[in-house]
Amino acid sequence: MAGTLKKKKITVGKSVNYILLTLLAFVCLYPFLNVIAYSLSGYNAVLSGKVTFYPIDFNLDAYKQILGKTQIWNSMNTTILVTLMGTALSLVLTIFASYGLSRDDLPGRKALTGLILFTMYFGGGMIPTFLVVKGVGLFDTLGALFVPQAINVFNFIVMRTFFKNLPESLEEAARIDGASYLQVLVKIVLPLSLPIIATIGLFYAVGYWNTYFDALLYIQDPDKYTLQLRLRSLLFGEELNNSGASLEGVGTQVMSKSLKMATVAVSTIPILVVYPWLQKYFVKGVMIGSVKG
Amino acid sequence: MNKGKNKKGYQHTLAKMWNYKWIYLMLLPVMVYYIVFKYIPMYGITIAFKDYNVFKGVFGSPWCGLDVFRKIMSNKNFWEAIKNTLLLNVLTLLVSFPLTIIVSLMLNEVMSTKFKKISQSVLYLPHFISWVVVAGIATNLFSQQGGTINQILQSMGMSSIPFLSENGWWIFTYVVCNVWKEIGWGTIIYLAALTGVDESLYEAAYLDGATKFQRLIYITLPSIKSVIVTMLILQISKMMTIGLDAPLLLGNKKVIGVSEVISTYTYRLGIERAKYSDSTAIGLFQSVINIIILFAADKFAKAIGEDGII
Repeated sequence: MAGTLKKKKITVGKSVNYILLTLLAFVCLYPFLNVIAYSLSGYNAVLSGKVTFYPIDFNLDAYKQILGKTQIWNSMNTTILVTLMGTALSLVLTIFASYGLSRDDLPGRKALTGLILFTMYFGGGMIPTFLVVKGVGLFDTLGALFVPQAINVFNFIVMRTFFKNLPESLEEAARIDGASYLQVLVKIVLPLSLPIIATIGLFYAVGYWNTYFDALLYIQDPDKYTLQLRLRSLLFGEELNNSGASLEGVGTQVMSKSLKMATVAVSTIPILVVYPWLQKYFVKGVMIGSVKG
Repeated sequence: MNKGKNKKGYQHTLAKMWNYKWIYLMLLPVMVYYIVFKYIPMYGITIAFKDYNVFKGVFGSPWCGLDVFRKIMSNKNFWEAIKNTLLLNVLTLLVSFPLTIIVSLMLNEVMSTKFKKISQSVLYLPHFISWVVVAGIATNLFSQQGGTINQILQSMGMSSIPFLSENGWWIFTYVVCNVWKEIGWGTIIYLAALTGVDESLYEAAYLDGATKFQRLIYITLPSIKSVIVTMLILQISKMMTIGLDAPLLLGNKKVIGVSEVISTYTYRLGIERAKYSDSTAIGLFQSVINIIILFAADKFAKAIGEDGII
C-alpha cells in the first residue's frame, strides 16, 4: 500500500480535473482563435456569422488589404520605436536604481529608497502629471509615452532583490583589482544578471507595446498614433466610445469584420512571438517581486 | 573625545561617499526622474485648493480653500463614479478571488508536467494582451448585431442578449472580461505557495485513510492560508483603484450609468472639459481614501497574525 500516492491511477476525479482544465484553456484560447478565424474567412461566411474557431472559405484578402494601409504601418513603426526606446531607457534607469540601492552601506540609501517606494502609495494623479509633461515640452511627442513612466517600482524591487543576492566576493575581487563601480556593473554584474534583465525588459516592452491610455492622453497628431490608438479608432470609430478625445482626422472608416480582426491579429502577433521567451522567466520574476513587494 | 569620534565618523562617511561616487552618478538620473515626474506633480496637487487659471498656472492661481471639494462633493456624478468603482471592483473580486484559488488547486493536482506546462502557458496568455484588443475581441463575441454568441443564440431560436448595451449585462461582460484576462496570471502566486506544502503531510494523511477532499480541506488549504489572506487583504486595499482602459474601452453611451468610474470621470472632467482643479481634487480624494484603506488593511493583517502588506 505504501507509496500508492504517487502511483499513476486514473480516477474519476482526476479525469474531471483534466477535462475542466482543458475546457478552461479552451475558453482562454477561443477568443484568439475566433479572431484568427474571422480574419481568414470569406466575405459571405463572415456576414452569415457562422465563423467560430476555424476559418470558412479560407482566404488572405484581409491581410492583403492591411498591407496596403499606410496608416497601420505608420502606427506599427511608431509603436516599435516607442517600445525600443522606452525599454532601453527603462532598463538603464531601473538597473542604475537597483544596483545603486542594493548595497546596504551606501550613505543615504534609506532616504533614496524611501523616495522611490513612497510613489507606490501616493502620486500627483492624472492632471498634475499631465501639466508637468506639458511643461517639460513632451506633450504630443513620442517621449511622452515612455519618459514619464520610465521606472516601474515593482520592477525596481525585483531587480534590487536579485542584485542583493549576488555573491559579494566577485565584486570585491574586482574592486581590489582597481575596477570602478561602473566597470564592475558592466563587466561582472550585468553578465550574471541576463535572465532577470531579459524578464524585466520584456515586462517593460509588453507594457509599452500595449500602452493605450498614455497615448490617448498625450498624443494628438494622428501621424503619431500608436498601434493601440489606431486600432481603437479603426475598431470602434467614435460610436462605442463617447470619450471623443482627439480622434478627428482619422476618419471613422467602416471596416469589414475580417479586416478588423486581421488588424487585431497583426497588432497582437509580436506579443505572441515574444511570449515563449517571456514565459521562461516571468514566473520567477513575479515571485521575487511578490515576496518583497 | 566624543567630538573626535564624531569627526572621525563624519570623515569616514565622506570617504565612503567618495568611494561610491560612481554609484551616486548612476542614481542621479533616477532621482531627477522621480523629482520631475513624481514629486513635482505631487506639488501640483495644490491646484485642488486653487481656482486654477490656465494663464496664471499652478503657482499664480488664487487659493480658494476647500471650495473645489465642496463643489465635487455636491455633484451627483462624483458619488455615482465612486459607487460604480466599488461595485465593479467588488463583483470582480467576488468572482475572481475564489475562482483563482480553485484553478490553482486544480493545476496543482495535475501530475503530467507537459499538460501542466501547456495549460499554464495558455492561461497566462490573456494577461499580456492590451485592453484595446480585449475590447475588440469582446465586441466581436458579445455585440448584439453580429456578435458570435448572439448569432449562436439566435440560430438556436433564442432571443439575443444585450451584453454591451444594458446596464446589468454590461457589468456581467465587464466581470467576465476581467476574470478571463487575469485568472491565469493570478494562479502563479498560489502555485508557488502550493509547491511549498510538505509532501509528508499528505502521505501521513493518506495512510490514516483521509480522502482526497479531506486532505484538501485539512492540509492544502491551511498550508496556503496565509497567502490567501495576504492576497485578499491586498486586493481589498485596492478597491477604490480602478484601471481606466477597461471601463473606457468596454463602456459606451448606453451604459454610462454603470461604466463611469472614478478614473474615467477624472479623465473626462480633467482632459475633455479642462476642469483641472476638480479633476485633481477627485484624484487627491481617491489617493487619501486609498492610503486609509491600505493602513487599515495592514493593521488588520498584523492583528490577525499575518505579515503586513506595507
